[in-house]
Amino acid sequence: MAEREEWAPPWWDYWLGFCRRFARNRLAVVGLILALAMFGVGIFAPWLAPHSYAEQNLDAVEQPPSWTYPLGTDELGRDQLSRLIWGARTAVIVAPTVTLLWVVLGVLMGALAGYLGGRVETVIMRLADILFAFPGLLFAMLISATIQPRTEAWMKGITGLRELVRAGYVEFFVVILALSLVGWGGLARLVRGQFLSLKEEEFVLAARAIGVSTWGIIRRHILPNALAPIIVSISMGMGGAITAEATLSFLGIGIQPPTPSWGAMIFDNYTFWRRPFPVAFRLLWLPGLIIAAMRFAFNFLGDGLNEALSPGR
Amino acid sequence: MTPLLEVKDLKTRFFTQDGVVHAVNGISYTLDEGETLGIVGESGCGKSVSVLSVMRLIPEPPGRIVGGEVLLEGQDLLKMSPNEIRRVRGNRIAMIFQDPMTSLNPVLTIGRQVSEALELHMGMDKVQARRRTIELLEMVGIPQAADRFDDYPHQFSGGMRQRVMIAMALSCNPQILIADEPTTALDVTIQAQFIELVKRLRDEIGMAVIWITHNLGIIAGLAEKVIVMYAGYIVERAGVKDVYGDPRHPYTIGLLESLPRLDEVRKERLISIEGLPPDLIDLQPGCPFYPRCSYRIDRCQEEMPPLEPVELDHEIACWVDVKQ
Repeated sequence: MAEREEWAPPWWDYWLGFCRRFARNRLAVVGLILALAMFGVGIFAPWLAPHSYAEQNLDAVEQPPSWTYPLGTDELGRDQLSRLIWGARTAVIVAPTVTLLWVVLGVLMGALAGYLGGRVETVIMRLADILFAFPGLLFAMLISATIQPRTEAWMKGITGLRELVRAGYVEFFVVILALSLVGWGGLARLVRGQFLSLKEEEFVLAARAIGVSTWGIIRRHILPNALAPIIVSISMGMGGAITAEATLSFLGIGIQPPTPSWGAMIFDNYTFWRRPFPVAFRLLWLPGLIIAAMRFAFNFLGDGLNEALSPGR
Repeated sequence: MTPLLEVKDLKTRFFTQDGVVHAVNGISYTLDEGETLGIVGESGCGKSVSVLSVMRLIPEPPGRIVGGEVLLEGQDLLKMSPNEIRRVRGNRIAMIFQDPMTSLNPVLTIGRQVSEALELHMGMDKVQARRRTIELLEMVGIPQAADRFDDYPHQFSGGMRQRVMIAMALSCNPQILIADEPTTALDVTIQAQFIELVKRLRDEIGMAVIWITHNLGIIAGLAEKVIVMYAGYIVERAGVKDVYGDPRHPYTIGLLESLPRLDEVRKERLISIEGLPPDLIDLQPGCPFYPRCSYRIDRCQEEMPPLEPVELDHEIACWVDVKQ
């Protein structure tokens, strides 16, 4: 039996196409660059920042930009540039963690709801609906405000964790928890929709016919087919997490000073809007613009990924 | 000799918003080791549902197997726990489906998909599974199997994909292969190749085969025993020569008459069976073929005839013996 030889494209062909499609979207590329910049700055903050973010120099309060302080100082004499750089680190810690938790929860819930159906689906979807009904940020505020003092006290009690408390990490933990608990509903709904349609595919029946277990089917067969919208959600979610953390910190219930966070900087400096523009810009507008820019960046990145992942537009 | 598979009075229904669909209404047959059984019938007669019931792959809402037994070497598959039946699927009974385009997961390599059964049932690790998979791919006639292990389904043609499906099905040396219209989606020349492949593998492995099709021509050259189904019932059961040479049920006769023959003088119209198959939700008492039957009598409308022998190893479900 002679078979005509088939030319098969090499494995990296798809990824090459993916990169090409992605690169066509200029905004997405800009978004990617900004996102990478944020991660770069955040990770290498200790080496990049010229000064410590907490070091106060009361002799040099509210200085304009100089060689020592490239972006000037704030009302406590802290270097603004360093604070912005360290603020990136906060974002880099909070955003991916929240997004990860949020994705794990959302995908797990959505997968179970979509594939198993029945009572499981009803319970999970009602839960998601309840979460939707709550104003997200208010809910996060509620969790933050109530858990924070207790968690801090509890952590102080445990010797190993006392160090973390002093380093100001309690609020990170609480903020991350609050934000991720609130945000998984949307993704769960999306994933459930995907699973509802994918489980009717014939390759799922074929997989069951060779004896693959329910969990195996969800994990190895359906999930890889449902990845595209999940990946896009991750990108959008990062932007959302950054903004949400900034909002919480701005309201004073997120990251506490002296730990730098862009939102907290707005909180600290918001009286400066009355000041002359150069001062106001450095201390107030800049953190705000950066937050907005990062949000845009992740949104564009998400859009770009969406287009690039679906070749059959 | 105990038959390998014994289906006894299998009944499957689907409970839908529009009513209860009586998909399979008490069918019984046996399958011996190494035997090839053909199940023929038109679309909607319950052929696929009956074998899906054997594999217990009926979606539980809205479907349910409501009666009967399916004995694999004496063990009732319908009474097994989910874990037990999962060990049977792919391992002792394997199934291949109609559409090779959709039976394979588009985002996994075909090597991964064939290896899955090996890792699951034979306990192989990735390296052993890869080796065995390449052997299997070569066995089914995939050229350059080692390279193609890492290829994706979209890089194969329909005929090759169907071969991959066979490789997957045979990977654990099942005792029974169920083929649900595997060639319907292939073009004729590929169909022929595929059937030859299955025959060869069947003879080499000594596997029993249940082949479902609505194409009577395929069964003639493939099966030893044939079941003709209609509206969820078996209407005729006989050896292949008897079904083609001496059909006794009016439906079977109608089916065979509707086939154009090469040795016939060309007529103007093809003969077809008048009417449509019955609505499975609203099954009337009596024989479901009654409205379309040219041989019917009053009794046919009142009572469903049981499957009874008219010759040696030849049974029909009919009140009328058309030979008389």
